[in-house]
Amino acid sequence: MPAALDISAYPPDGMEIRLIERFTALKGRRILEVGCGDGRLTFQYARTAAQVLAFDPDRASIEEALDEQARLGVRNVAFRFGSVEHLPARGAPFDVALFSWSL
Amino acid sequence: MVHALRRAGRYLRRGGMLISIRPHRTWRPAIAIVAGRRRLPVTTLLNPTFEVNLEAADLALKRVVDEGSFALAGVRAARFRSYLDRPSQVRTYLELINPPRPRFPRGGRARLDAVWDSAPRGARIAVTESLIVNALRRR
Repeated sequence: MPAALDISAYPPDGMEIRLIERFTALKGRRILEVGCGDGRLTFQYARTAAQVLAFDPDRASIEEALDEQARLGVRNVAFRFGSVEHLPARGAPFDVALFSWSL
Repeated sequence: MVHALRRAGRYLRRGGMLISIRPHRTWRPAIAIVAGRRRLPVTTLLNPTFEVNLEAADLALKRVVDEGSFALAGVRAARFRSYLDRPSQVRTYLELINPPRPRFPRGGRARLDAVWDSAPRGARIAVTESLIVNALRRR
């Protein structure tokens, strides 16, 4: 039986990334993440991605993500408050659009 | 949901990938008590409100494929488990989930307590959840 863990309702770190990478690489890619929450998943792939734009409609979650970003020193992620509907009609093309538990 | 997918599609290069990760619609969260190699199923949790949302997500993904802006690249489902040390932690676990949260069916909580009371020392509670990943390629 696995050792006791801190309680989490999310998959173990790495599981979602492994599943995503069955379909597309994330390394070196420009990624748009919709519904990033506090950046739990974002920080798992951000260091290998080229650039990330991650947003969420919950302001408190974005503030948590920004705090964690500062703590980790991750520079290639832009966290934004809002939803996909509020983005401009068109933008620079991304390689991957990730709806992380948000659809 | 369809609108969000369409909007995200406008930001994807041709051939880019749209990935959706969300809970599996029909694999409901399950609670069991595990002790060594023994596994005693207790109950599955209910979340009818959320299941409606998940069905709408499934339909939205199907719709953008039917519209021709995306091609289905694949679907993958998986399960994962969290282990809790005692029944009181189940409440904590459920509170970590964004609303609408799953709930016990009638009699489910009592069954958990009853099975737990008869479980051997060292037993733990396993919560099995599921996810599904859809990958759509931008045409």
